[in-house]
Order: sequence, then structure tokens, then C-alpha cells
Amino acid sequence: MIEKLSQKDIRTLKIGAVCVAAIIVFVFANDWFDYWKKARTSLAELNNKLELIDVDKAKQSGLISIVPKFEMPIEAEDQKFLFVDKLTEQFKKAGIKNQPLKVASTGKSKQAGYQLLRMKCSATCRLTQALDLLANLKDNPYLVGIEELRLRIDKKKPQEVDMDLTVSTFVK
Amino acid sequence: MSSKIAKTNVRTHRSVIVIAQEESKLKAIKLREQKGTLNVLWAKSSEDNEANWQDFAAKCGLSAKPTAFKGANSDKAVVIGFNSAGVAFYRISAPAVGKEETASIIKLQAETRMPLPAEQMEMAWRADQMRNGQVGFIVAAARKKPLEEFLGNVRNFEPTKILLDCEGVTKAWKTFFCGNEKRAVVVNMTARNTQVCLAEDGRLCNAMVLDIGMEDLAAEGEEGQMQTSERFIQDMRSVLELFGNAEQAELPVFLLSDGNATHVNIVSSLRSAGLNARVALADVKGLRTSNEIGVDGIYEYRVPIGLGLMAFETSKNELNIFEHIYRPTSKKEKKHWIYSPKIACGIAAVMLVLSLVVFCGVDIASPGAIEKHLKASASDADLNSLMQRQKLIKSVAQQRPDLLELLGQISASGEKGIKLESFHFKKGQPVTITGEAPGNEQLYKFEKNLQDRKNINSVKMNPSRDAKTKKIKFTITFHYRNFTKK
Repeated sequence: MIEKLSQKDIRTLKIGAVCVAAIIVFVFANDWFDYWKKARTSLAELNNKLELIDVDKAKQSGLISIVPKFEMPIEAEDQKFLFVDKLTEQFKKAGIKNQPLKVASTGKSKQAGYQLLRMKCSATCRLTQALDLLANLKDNPYLVGIEELRLRIDKKKPQEVDMDLTVSTFVK
Repeated sequence: MSSKIAKTNVRTHRSVIVIAQEESKLKAIKLREQKGTLNVLWAKSSEDNEANWQDFAAKCGLSAKPTAFKGANSDKAVVIGFNSAGVAFYRISAPAVGKEETASIIKLQAETRMPLPAEQMEMAWRADQMRNGQVGFIVAAARKKPLEEFLGNVRNFEPTKILLDCEGVTKAWKTFFCGNEKRAVVVNMTARNTQVCLAEDGRLCNAMVLDIGMEDLAAEGEEGQMQTSERFIQDMRSVLELFGNAEQAELPVFLLSDGNATHVNIVSSLRSAGLNARVALADVKGLRTSNEIGVDGIYEYRVPIGLGLMAFETSKNELNIFEHIYRPTSKKEKKHWIYSPKIACGIAAVMLVLSLVVFCGVDIASPGAIEKHLKASASDADLNSLMQRQKLIKSVAQQRPDLLELLGQISASGEKGIKLESFHFKKGQPVTITGEAPGNEQLYKFEKNLQDRKNINSVKMNPSRDAKTKKIKFTITFHYRNFTKK
């Protein structure tokens, strides 16, 4: 049968076959492409999730050196109480007699669903005590960060400093 | 005999058509080599005085159109025999030197013997035995013009080889006429001519054509016959002398024969003249022939058969006097299908499609697999709280300045005599430090040191001299990482 076909017939059949294949590909490729696109988006989202959980060792150790202890924030009142309690303990540990901690402000935080509560206090202490406090502050599991720190050296007593400290914590 | 063929020859073609001219007649034969046996498929000859190459080739199934032939006969060789009546043979000796030096020595020697200038001649040579440190060469030389005319007749069939018919005679003698002697003279007699070939180890090493043939020797009249016979004997003696044989009785002379009485008479005459002549009868063991041809026909086609045997050999050691004027069209080597561009493109296309399928398949299958893995590791709630916690820790790490590190860097940058009075850090504002310096030099050094620190930048200084103490009061501001930038 095929031997009876001329070269022209064979060429026409080949072009026809290519066209049919192209039509089939075009019809199915569109749907398939959408499906593939969705799969890609879903994969990207999952990869982001994984990246959050599955931090590599170097990054994780870097995070731990900055935030060695962390407790998930709770309701404002409870969080404030726990935070103040821990701070007072840390002041005491450093041998600093501080004035009572006051709420400086409560504002928006960069984290959705949480507010940033700022607490302020003043104290007069030796420079070494102040440095000791600063070194231990990161062990406070409720602390977000130091918002403000002012140190003034007493000219008459150069070993003593007046310290104004504002620290922050997340609250729900 | 067939096993001899199988051992010595490596075949390049499965079948061969040989056409050779014998005086005014063309003879053709088709041979096929199969499992060491030579099969004669057919044999044809033209009528006397009708030696038209084109017509005869067409009868042999050879098209004069080169393309048509090539396609139809991919494994078939065509060998043409060239009548060596117009070819002169010389024996030359040369020292065993390099190939190029040998060529120039032979050319030089041959040119002195050739009757015409070298540019009007074509020649070919072949080395044979070495004697006393000298290599012997047979040189075949012929006028260029007759060769070109001959080529004009046969070129259209695209012959694979054009061989000298006396080489075919020697080959046929060695294979089918019990040619076992190391050195012998082979006499091939036709109607009007006689080819006298000197063979060493079954190969031609000299040749001469005499213009006496069977017709002359079998002529009527006893006196005339006697005279012709004597002339023939005399010519044979001269030829043997020319071949360098002083002791003519020792050198065997074989007359190729089909058992004809005239052959026997000729041999008797030669023997009575003191030559060691013998009749060489065809031995056709191992040669398969169709009934049509018959064993008797083998003698008739001895020259084409000999040339056909040479065509089956791979060694290109024949005397090719057409070497410079004819180059056979080399048939395209059949490449393995894997080297076909179409196949390669096809494989590449399939691999491309497969790669795409795998790539997309991985993309589509991955989300499901990851989710499955995550669900297997922790529940949804755990997973979310874990993510939330990780997010918060990252956020805290980004918002937590290391003020102890900063104070350490400021302290390390201080020069002798510099006293700090205050330090103020507030997120979103530049860090401010105030103090007292004994002189400008210390102050500028302090500023420079701060500037060189890794996490401190945009250092600005505002100095003023205290009128009472004569010391310099300063205020320095700078940015610490990104905490102090708005």
C-alpha cells in the first residue's frame, strides 16, 4: 500500500500527522499548563513553609546566639506580669536597685497579631552592674529588644552611671 | 583449492563482474565468493570482431548511467581487464631505502628505458623478492593515450579496478592450474598472440607478448608449421633470456591448456628444443559452475576468472597503471544507524520530551509529597505553632540590638585621655556619645577608629573647646547597624 504512494503523498501525510499532533498538543497543553502553574505556586508556598521550619544549622545557631530563650507571647496582662517579674529578677541579679517599671507605650509591631509593649525604668548603678544587666537581658524569654538606653556618668562619682532603659515585649 | 582461496583472500565484495578483452572478443564472468567456494554465476562472450564495450556491458547488466548502477549494486564490484599487449615490463633493482627514495630511484631508472618521454607514459611498479641486499621491482609502463582511450570506453561502468590481464593469467594459473612452483613461466596462448608471464610465488614479475598464436601454429602445410614452430621456439628462448634465465632447462614452462592437441604438440616442440615445458590443465575443484557453463568453459574464461580472484583480495598490490588517470568512485561507507542525523535528532527530541515530563512530573508530585511528609512529622496545629514561633524568633532576632557589643566597640576605639560622659541609644535615631578629649589628635583618631568599625557608620563629630579646662568637649553621632535608621 505504502509503496504505491508517491513522494508527494508521503510528504502530505507527514505534514498532516505533524499538524494533528500540534492540534492535540495545543488543546491539552493549555489545561495542563494551568495545572502545572498551580502546582508550581503550591510548591513555592510549601518550600517557604519548609524554609521557616527547616532552618539550616548555621542559621539556627546564629538565631540561638541572639535569642537563646523565647516564650510565645500571651495575653497582654499576663505577658506584662511575666515580663516585669523576669526583668525585676534580672535587675536584682545584677545588683541594681531600680525604680519601678512603667509602661512607656503600647503600639503596633511588625508581627501581625501581636502588639509591642514598651516598659521603661531608671536606675543608678555602677557601670559594671549596667553591663552585667545588658549581658543577661537576652536570657529574658519575654524580651523582644532594647528600645532605648541612656547612660550618664556622674562626674563626681565616675564609677556610677544613671541609666534609663526602655525594653519591649510582644503581647497578644 | 577452495580452502586456499579462503585462507589467502580477505573479501571486500561478495560478487564481482569481470570483463576482459581477448583479441577481438569480449568475455565476461560473474563470480561470487561464498564460504570459501568460488561460484561462477554466469559467463558471457561477445561475437568475434564485435568488441563494443557499451553494448556488451549492457548485456552483462551494467548500466552506463553511473547513479543507476551504484544504487542497484552496492556490494558488487566491476573489474575490467586491460590487454597487456601494449604494456612494457621492466625489471629494476634498487637498494632497500625509504618509500619516497625508492619511488624516485625507480622512476629515474624506468625513464631511461622507456621509449617515450615520461609525461607521455603511465607506469606502475611493485616490489617482489630481495636478492643480495637489492629489492627487485617489476615496472609496467604504457603510453598514456591508449590508456585514456580505453578509459573512455569503460569509465561509465565505474569499474572498481582495472587490472592487467597478464596478472589475471598468473593468478588463474596459481589457483586453478596447479601453479605450485616457486618460479615458473606461464604461457597463455590465444588465437593470434601468446602471453609469456614469469611468475614468482604466484605473482607476476615479468611478461612479454609474442605475436604468434594458435592460428599460426595450427596453420595448414607442414613446412609452414615447422617454420612457425621454430620461430616460436626461438622467440621463447629470447623471452627466457630476457627474463634472466641462462639455464633454460631448469625453469618450468607451463602452457595453459584445455587438453587441445595443438597445445600438446607445442609443448613437445619446446621440450625437444631443451625447454622444461609442460601442459597445465585446469583443475576446477572448489569451483562451482552452473550446468550452462560447464567445466570446459573454465579454460575459456581463465583470464576473467583470474582477475575476479584478484578483485576478492583486499591487498592493493596489483600493478595499477591507471592509478594517475582513473580513480574509482568510492562507494559511501554504510554507517551504523546510530550515526544517522535523523536518528540522533529523534533521540534528542525524545530525551527533551522526557526531561520536560520528568521536570513537570516532579513539580506536580512534589507538593503532595511534601505535605504528606509534613503531616507524618507533625499535626497541622503543631506545624502552625512551630512556624509561628520560628517567625517570631526571627523577628525578635532582627529587632534585638546587641548593646553590649556596641559599648565594647566604642570602648575599644577610645584613645588615651578620652573620657566618655554619656551614651544614648534609641531605635530610629543615631547613637549619641558625649565626652572630653585632651586634644584634637586623639579626638580625630577616636572618630576614625569608630568609622573603621564593622557595624558603625556615618560617624559625625561636633567638637568644642572648653574655655576653662582647655579640653575639647565633643558630641559624636553615628548609626549602628540598621537599628538607628528610620
